[in-house]
Amino acid sequence: MSAYKTMKIITLTTVTFGVAFGGLYASAQEKFGFGRSVDKDEIARYDSDIHTDGTGLPEGSGNVALGREIFEYQCALCHGENLEGVPEMGARTLHDGRRDIKKLPYATSLFDFVRRAMPLTDPGTLSNDEAYGLVAFLLVETGVIDDPDLTLDAKSLAAIKMPNRKNFIIDPASRFTAEDLEDK
Amino acid sequence: MKNTSLTNGNRRQFMKAGMATSAALLSSSALAQETVLEPSRGPGRTVMEMGYYGERSEYVKDARLKGNRGTGLIGGSLTPLQHGHGIVTPSGLHFEVHHSGVPDIDPSEHKLLIHGMVDDAKIFTMEDLLRFPSVNRFHFLECAGNGMGEWMAPRGQTVQQTHGLTSCSQWTGVPLKIVLNELGVKTDAKWILAEGDDGARMTRSIPMWKAMDDAILAYAQNGEFLRPEQGFPLRLLLPGFEGNMNVKWLRRLEIGDKPWWTHHEDTEYADPRPNDKIRAFSFYMEGRSVITSPSAGMKLNGPGFYEISGLAWSGAGTVKKVDISTDSGKTWQQANLEAPVLPKSHTRFKMPWTWDGKETNIMSRSTDDTGYVQPTYEEMYKLQGPIGMMHNNAIQNWHIAQDGEITNVRL
Repeated sequence: MSAYKTMKIITLTTVTFGVAFGGLYASAQEKFGFGRSVDKDEIARYDSDIHTDGTGLPEGSGNVALGREIFEYQCALCHGENLEGVPEMGARTLHDGRRDIKKLPYATSLFDFVRRAMPLTDPGTLSNDEAYGLVAFLLVETGVIDDPDLTLDAKSLAAIKMPNRKNFIIDPASRFTAEDLEDK
Repeated sequence: MKNTSLTNGNRRQFMKAGMATSAALLSSSALAQETVLEPSRGPGRTVMEMGYYGERSEYVKDARLKGNRGTGLIGGSLTPLQHGHGIVTPSGLHFEVHHSGVPDIDPSEHKLLIHGMVDDAKIFTMEDLLRFPSVNRFHFLECAGNGMGEWMAPRGQTVQQTHGLTSCSQWTGVPLKIVLNELGVKTDAKWILAEGDDGARMTRSIPMWKAMDDAILAYAQNGEFLRPEQGFPLRLLLPGFEGNMNVKWLRRLEIGDKPWWTHHEDTEYADPRPNDKIRAFSFYMEGRSVITSPSAGMKLNGPGFYEISGLAWSGAGTVKKVDISTDSGKTWQQANLEAPVLPKSHTRFKMPWTWDGKETNIMSRSTDDTGYVQPTYEEMYKLQGPIGMMHNNAIQNWHIAQDGEITNVRL
């Protein structure tokens, strides 16, 4: 009886390994069963990223005036009053070069990064309204959007088409093409 | 009994010298000279005086070179390749680049959430992950910005400064595809968002095909758990892909059908190209090599024999050959590749060389098993204009002056 049990376990393991190493996207019947299943509520506590189609953008809104106020208090020390960058603080200009806000392919990434990673010494502390306000301020200040009273929320931010998106080329070695990556 | 092998060696040398002199002395003196032994060092430190985690000799000073600005939270350090041996980088000398400092994470509290386009979203503890079948693989890890400062003109004074953002380790972990198999990934899933647990929650989009190829959820490096600066307790390892994608302190993987175009993939790690174009999703670190010894900052001690030694690697495959020129690029000879020669790993090459004492330049050029040949700076400029900064894998030239002084000079 016990010998049979052992044999059964060995067979099961062989099947699992075969599927795990050989299988690609197909889900296997036999699994190790490690890890704990989680529901939507638990996932929501961890899941803060923003997709390029706007999925994940939170409630709330903010305008240029709010963004300007936050920028002056929390960002200008490193980024400079006019976004010119303060080299001693390690920040490059946001008007030109590799940090040029005008050149970003998606406004969603700007919101995602500002809310998640800024300010550098106190990341994750901006409210949703403040993050919307900052993105509005940055897009107006760098000339992407010509509207000094711009207010952004989930819907209006997701609708922004960044003018430089067309200049991004995809490395063919990535095995993707520009069409693969467009939001439909 | 009290003699160590070292003092035995000294004694032999001493005796040899003694014999020579005693032959000379024979004529002047018939008296036999008694050999005087080198005094013993006496007993050394006991095992109890040695550390529980061994330390290197106080005479060995190799160290990482650090750099940062402003707050110091965004910064890095460079590996001293000029003093490296073999292919493995000691974990304590592995290069680092951080975007929000190094977090302090208790592994008993660390969790990895995998969700999105899967049948069954799951959270794994470190204990869970350690139960899966594991693999050990030697792989290099290189920052996309390795040699960034060298684009316009040679600036680094040593190979540590020009090439120190590459290191190589034996990594241990679970193949990512085994863990994904637990969740049932949807057939139209094409991308994975990897998120770190540093202050800024650094994120990158990873192609699903890489996850299903050779990606590893790594928890150990060179036989021990990861160092904090290498992502303790868990990092993503994508063999051959630019360092930044190998997300450290990994806390979350979201499965999706499109890339996220995160900050780090659309600004810092995107590559400027001519005509205002920007190349994105350039994953591979292409074939590259560099002579680590002799290299800039060193001085040859007169004409004679030197062993040229260096490192070659390719993110696309295995190093097939390395050619070396010791006459400023006029002629090339094939170097010996020292075993093991492994895919997506540093490979050590060597070549014996006799320096004639004349001014010259030495350089190495690698070819990988996909046929890719390491380019010159001229070839790279032609391809992408002199504006590129990331993914600089051009041939490195070292100038040797008549006095043996070696410097970083572009031909």
